[in-house]
Amino acid sequence: MKRFKNLLQKEVKELVTKQLVISLAFTVLLFNAIGQISKKEVQKAVGIQTISVLDQDGSEGSRALLKGLESARFKIVDQTGKGKDEALASAKAGESKLLLVVPAGFGDSLAELKPSEIETYSFMRSFSLIGARGQVVVQSVISALNETLSNNFLAAKLPGADPVSLKRPIKSRDFVVVRDRTAEGSAGLIAGMLSQQSMLIPIVLMMIVIYSSQMVISAVAMEKQNKTLETLLTVPIKRTSIITAKMFAAGLVGLISAGVYMFAFKGFIGGMGEEVAAAGARASGTALMQKLGLTFDTTGYLILGLSLFLAILVALAMAMILGVLAEDFRSAQNMIMPLMFMVMIPYFISLFADIDTLSLPVKILVLAIPFSHPFLVSQNIYLGHYGMIAAGLGYMLLVFIVLVIYAARIFSTDKILTMKLRFGKKKAPAA
Amino acid sequence: MSNVLTVRGLKKSYGAHAALAGIDFEVRAGEVFALIGPNGAGKTTTLRIAATLLTSTAGEITFLDRDLRKEPDFVREKISYLPEEAGAYKDMKGMDYLRFMAGFYGRDAGEEKEFVERAAAITELGNRLKTKVGTYSKGMTRKLLLARALMTRPVLAILDEPTSGLDVLNALDVREIIRRYVKEGTSVLLSSHNMLEIEFLSDRVGLIDKGRILDTGTPDELKAKHAAKNLEEVFRSSLR
Ligand SMILES: Nc1ncnc2c1ncn2[C@@H]1O[C@H](COP(=O)(O)OP(=O)(O)OP(=O)(O)O)[C@@H](O)[C@H]1O
Ligand SMILES: [Mg+2]
Repeated sequence: MKRFKNLLQKEVKELVTKQLVISLAFTVLLFNAIGQISKKEVQKAVGIQTISVLDQDGSEGSRALLKGLESARFKIVDQTGKGKDEALASAKAGESKLLLVVPAGFGDSLAELKPSEIETYSFMRSFSLIGARGQVVVQSVISALNETLSNNFLAAKLPGADPVSLKRPIKSRDFVVVRDRTAEGSAGLIAGMLSQQSMLIPIVLMMIVIYSSQMVISAVAMEKQNKTLETLLTVPIKRTSIITAKMFAAGLVGLISAGVYMFAFKGFIGGMGEEVAAAGARASGTALMQKLGLTFDTTGYLILGLSLFLAILVALAMAMILGVLAEDFRSAQNMIMPLMFMVMIPYFISLFADIDTLSLPVKILVLAIPFSHPFLVSQNIYLGHYGMIAAGLGYMLLVFIVLVIYAARIFSTDKILTMKLRFGKKKAPAA
Repeated sequence: MSNVLTVRGLKKSYGAHAALAGIDFEVRAGEVFALIGPNGAGKTTTLRIAATLLTSTAGEITFLDRDLRKEPDFVREKISYLPEEAGAYKDMKGMDYLRFMAGFYGRDAGEEKEFVERAAAITELGNRLKTKVGTYSKGMTRKLLLARALMTRPVLAILDEPTSGLDVLNALDVREIIRRYVKEGTSVLLSSHNMLEIEFLSDRVGLIDKGRILDTGTPDELKAKHAAKNLEEVFRSSLR
């Protein structure tokens, strides 16, 4: 145990390099800064915006329109009295994001129930989505006005009839059924929210797998490159201890760095800010999912955590073997590619396809990749497919054990010194 | 005198290539046994098998009358191995490297400290032990590694070309140190290309070529047998 601790300490120290700490700190700071900046931008966009209005009509109808805009928190700069070109130029020179032109005769054609036109000129000073927000809001004000006007019109022409049901004679009430539960709501919303949630799993998994594997691979490859492996292998410590110390250190440091990156990433995303409307939809979606039982209880989280943990162990064991095969640090870096593909494949498949509808050979292939299983866990928990979950966990455990036994075998035979595999460049033949 | 290491009919193949075609020799307690032979003769292969790094294809090898293949953990406690081409962890300071290695052998902190102090004295690196190994010259690294191999006073020190890369004075120094440790009870199995070194250091010599031991004996015995003035001539005449 003392020897194991001695080795583990060295492994961790070796992995926590200045570069790692600096790059972690840098990422956190950078992402945070970006998050802060975009937060401010979003606030600006959501806050009061200035628009210019050229009212060439001056009727009751046009005044109603302007009132509607004011109540939508727009600061209105009145350009009335100017010509169109003049108004455009002055609006452009000022802070206005948009110029709204209400042509003469707007009110009259409204009163006559003819289509009435207005014009908007958006000044795109940048091409960000936030920059185009002004127009979106004006559009929604106009469509609200449209709604009121057409309701008034229908009420005037067909007294006694409800304009709302006149416009939408068919109404659908949507229900979603999951297993034995039914709730009113949209299936699209649920699918959207679930996919957003399960997006997080592959990102976390990929981060950890990439970081830890890279670390374990380099931990072995560095021993080879620095020519310290031979000495280490004659030291009185069990081969399995060497493997576990390296895996443990890499897993630990990988987990922590992935955690730091996730934290930084969250700051970045959080800075983007959630629009009030989107937050509302999310809240109602969450309530709907709760009604349908599409939430994780403690057991659910435990299963998911266990599944992720097993996936990481499998990745570490694979990386260990790849690291042994690599001749030096550089070829070790290339070795990680196949491992990354293995994580990417289930991710992309889960994005675009349903595992159940895949053809049998593809399905077997996907299920054979140990990293597929954490992706399937949440779905299977929701759908109550506990057998599938248990099979997935068991399979990953089995793969892990086989890999560790294989790694230990390599470590305790000649193979660790004589086995060599090269990826990429071929060495020039020895003279 | 009893044997520390006994090798009988040892064979080793890398795939189809036979690196060792059945060799016999023994290292007796308190002696320096040297393997000499041309490049590719099988010296490193033999030393690696003795150091529990490689497994033999056939034959017997016993360490203190125990089967080396069956009890590698016992052997590793009592030997130390200096590889032909070795390095130390580049980002560690020399002192930290010695401490790290001592951590595997010492029974307690006191013994570890004793090991480290002994090694520090052997290296003669002084203050440079406080700098990173990555900044050392080849010879400095070699001395650090040799010091770590001897600091535990192993029963058997297996040294593959111990003075390779050292200048004349450092090589002389290292030979003195090895002799001193032998006097204090450590047995040594080494390989070398330097006949001068072998004449000075070894009690007995094994001449090895193409995976076979051609001859074994003290330097004087071998010189007499081949009617040679020095070991270099013995080497040439026996390879013919
Ligand atoms: N990993 C390996 N794979 C295949 N063949 C090997 C391997 N290691 C050594 N050999 C072969 O075994 C034979 C003996 O090699 P060894 O390294 O023991 O020689 P040596 O006596 O130490 O030579 P040198 O004086 O050059 O150090 C050589 O023919 C070598 O090519
Ligand atoms: Mg050699």
